[in-house]
Amino acid sequence: MVTIVVKESKILEKVKLTEKELEEVLFNLKSETEKIGEDELSIEINADRLDMLSSDGISRAVKGFLGVELGEPNYQVIDTDYKLVVEKVSQRPYALAAVVYDVNLDDDFIKELIQFQEKLHDTIGRKRKKVAIGIHDLGKIREKEIHYRLASLNESFVPLNQRVLMEISDVLTHTDQGKLYANISLFNGTVPAIAEASGDILSLPPIINSDRTKIDNNTSKLFIDVTGTNFDAVAETLDIIVSNLAEGGSKIGRVNVVSDYSNFSPIMRHNRLEFNSMDINRRLGFSLTSEDIVHYLRKSRMEAEAIVDKVAVIVPQYRVDIMTYTDVAEDVGMMYGYQKISLKKPGLSEMGKLNPMTKLERNFRELVIGAGFQEIFSLVLIRGSLLQGNYVSIVNSISEEYNAVRNSLIWTSLKFLEKNQFARFPIKIFEVGEVVVRDESTDTGYRNENRSSLAIMDSKVKYEDLQSVLHQVIKGLTGKYPIYSPITMEFLIGGRASRLLLNNQCLGIIGEVHPNTLVKYGIKYPVVIAEIYLEKITEVM
Amino acid sequence: MISENEAKILGLLSSKKVLKASEISEYLGIPLSSVFSLANLLKEKGYVSIKEEENKLLELTDEGKLRLKNGLPEDVLISKLNGSSVKISEAKEILGKDFNIALSWAKRKNLVQISNDMIIPKYTSYTSPEFEYLRKVSLGEKIDTVITKELERRGLVREIRSKDMEISLIKDVDVRQSITFLTPELIASGDWKNYTLKEYNVAAFPPFIQLGKLHFFREFLERVKDAMVSLGFEEVRGNFVEMEFYNFDMLFQAQDHPAREIHDSFQVEGKGKLPKDELVKNVREVHEKWWRYEWNQDISKRLVLRSQTTAVTARQLTIRRGETKVFTIGKVFRPDAIDATHLIEFHQLDGLIIEKDFSFVDLLSILKEIFFRIGIKEVKFKPGYFPFTEPSVEIYGYINGLGWVEMAGSGLLRPEVTEPAGVNMPAGAWGLGLDRLAMLMMSVNDIRNLYSDDIEYLRERRIDLW
Repeated sequence: MVTIVVKESKILEKVKLTEKELEEVLFNLKSETEKIGEDELSIEINADRLDMLSSDGISRAVKGFLGVELGEPNYQVIDTDYKLVVEKVSQRPYALAAVVYDVNLDDDFIKELIQFQEKLHDTIGRKRKKVAIGIHDLGKIREKEIHYRLASLNESFVPLNQRVLMEISDVLTHTDQGKLYANISLFNGTVPAIAEASGDILSLPPIINSDRTKIDNNTSKLFIDVTGTNFDAVAETLDIIVSNLAEGGSKIGRVNVVSDYSNFSPIMRHNRLEFNSMDINRRLGFSLTSEDIVHYLRKSRMEAEAIVDKVAVIVPQYRVDIMTYTDVAEDVGMMYGYQKISLKKPGLSEMGKLNPMTKLERNFRELVIGAGFQEIFSLVLIRGSLLQGNYVSIVNSISEEYNAVRNSLIWTSLKFLEKNQFARFPIKIFEVGEVVVRDESTDTGYRNENRSSLAIMDSKVKYEDLQSVLHQVIKGLTGKYPIYSPITMEFLIGGRASRLLLNNQCLGIIGEVHPNTLVKYGIKYPVVIAEIYLEKITEVM
Repeated sequence: MISENEAKILGLLSSKKVLKASEISEYLGIPLSSVFSLANLLKEKGYVSIKEEENKLLELTDEGKLRLKNGLPEDVLISKLNGSSVKISEAKEILGKDFNIALSWAKRKNLVQISNDMIIPKYTSYTSPEFEYLRKVSLGEKIDTVITKELERRGLVREIRSKDMEISLIKDVDVRQSITFLTPELIASGDWKNYTLKEYNVAAFPPFIQLGKLHFFREFLERVKDAMVSLGFEEVRGNFVEMEFYNFDMLFQAQDHPAREIHDSFQVEGKGKLPKDELVKNVREVHEKWWRYEWNQDISKRLVLRSQTTAVTARQLTIRRGETKVFTIGKVFRPDAIDATHLIEFHQLDGLIIEKDFSFVDLLSILKEIFFRIGIKEVKFKPGYFPFTEPSVEIYGYINGLGWVEMAGSGLLRPEVTEPAGVNMPAGAWGLGLDRLAMLMMSVNDIRNLYSDDIEYLRERRIDLW
């Protein structure tokens, strides 16, 4: 989700709707609207609809949905004598440009244009790594020939919003933008630059523009450069920007490009897709005619044509999200209206089935409840220093409190007991849940295990208080009583701890918690605790 | 209410009607003073009347007891002399400290004569009449008042006054003894008929006991599982530690997609092992064809804590052949700031249907049904976007008092997702966050309470009706 903020009065005037009506239409175009200020709307745009990242793009889509305008708008593209010469820039090899005439910039429009640029940077531009956009006042560019070239660090220019000439090396190290983006532009002591043929730098993509060509209230024509590491993304980005400006009434000017990949830009790339109407109907569960489908696609601001049982669609340059017929199907469904789709009555279906572990857990829980234990449900993430043995630690944890995945329920139970020393005694708790253990035989090297912990805390507790419960629970589940074999474990008191065995399987451990461990956890009362391995129980059932 | 001892007294009186307190004390082995107070209590309760009595009695003093045992001193003197005269000094030696008393009473009774320091007895033996009176007093027999005075003067007897009561039963009563516990022996022998069971203060509050109680949020999850099973779905499970291949790549999420950035999932040390070549090759192909970048195998091997249970769905796609209806409910992990509505781990329900001719309408229909069975009776659909589904839909549910709330994301899996896994039928999938849904449906206003570490919160929480 990408959120943009637009001037409410301006967008409502464009679409000729009330705020409520716009909200309703946008809901059906994947977007949620919220009034956030006196004359401001916040609109959530889904990441696939880059064409809707400015109010002109939203307006184009809304008019189609309402049927006010259909098909692809005819945006005029005129030839110009501007030329972009693309030199070898290995770190970001691709560059395209366009000029735009008849732009009426005011403060609101400038704000929105910069927002549009930034949202494109964040999405298709992958935070400028893949694509960077430079927007200039064409009136302030003196030469017709513009070069995309490498610049060395000792060249200098006045960066945007600075008053003084700066060397590029200083721009990289001393400006905020420089610090943020140097790592994706600097290579072998050079950075990419957009410059006039005679040498004056207009911008250092993806870092910063020059102050000289800054847009303002008097700007009426633009020069837009788009550079990056991926040709398609560069071309699409430029197409989307100029299309939305054209939707707002501007004229697009074509720039001659000297490069390996294109002779001109913007490319205004259209894709033709052809598919059986049946495929769309099957996908959606509809029974539309080819003509219906064409109608809905035109509402979606695409051109389309019915050819008997087939439909051909011309995907315009601003709909870069349309890849295959499944994308087309969604647009058909959306224009039909998700709300209007009539649903089927569910047919009779056989019962499904629970996972066997879920069944065991339910029975286990029921038996333990019968012994008067309170079920608890704790978090899987825990402070690593509370764990013993091997465990998964999180590389990029956001808090010490939750920097590891529990490898046993013993520790989460002890943590719970520590928090409940002032509650009414006795405290009898249990939990059924998953832990993660190392397992070299799996493809990740780790595996979840289903376990249960049970614990009693009171002013006086003994091994037998819990053993007696488990003895009956195991009998209830397996039909057999376990036997107990003494064990030595650091956190349990010697001579008061054992392993539960049945048919040579170890079903779990039980014991009184060692005072050292109680102290470590800050527990002031004696505790008897057990952990049962539920997978092992299924093996002896 | 009659106490046990009161009942014993009434029991005794029921046959004798009138008894002295001293007698009751003797019969029941209760100290006399206790009998007095018990009798007063019974009087207050209207069971008996009391007539207080005072008796005068004579008893021997310690000296009297000694003389009764050894004889009076003057008798002892006569007996020691045995008719012979002795010097006073000699007699003094024989009688010791009793000598003066013996001699003075012997002289007064004219039993001896003194002459020239010699004691001359007039009898060889003598028994004073007082001795017989001492014996009578010791047996409690009455003696003449003149003699009594005489003996008192000699310090051999004294008069004592004793209190007693005459207790008469005035009201018949159930005199069975009351007991606290009914025992198996009493039931078996029928003896319980001879007792009454003590009454309790039944209005008093009882002591605390802990009930065994299921956890409310876990139960919610179990009810959701039941709803899915009732719709024909089979439950499957997956692991928390997952390879990016299943968490992202198989779901058509480009490796440079913003949602795959480091702050959006928890990274785990180590590398996974990719599955068979065919699947990896297919995934690489669709990524490179459509997202136009060089797919990196090493990135897909990275380990994360799964950020969506759709990773379980992705794995199911690789193992299921033929029509399939499965679901999973499990924890997912995402870095976030923890507050009343956000935790870094929560539950998702993910479902998958693979079915010949399965359509978007079928998907919306089953989604409506799932929500209906969970308890959300009204839903509406909004177009949405997920990299791995097309068409995509977001499901909003209506909550009374709150309005429409976004609840789930869904769609038909893209062929770019199903085909690399060898699934050649349409497939629908959806993911649904369960924690917030549970909060809405069970009126929990802080997500942390779903995992409360306060046992009293769990003990006190009222049950939820389903």
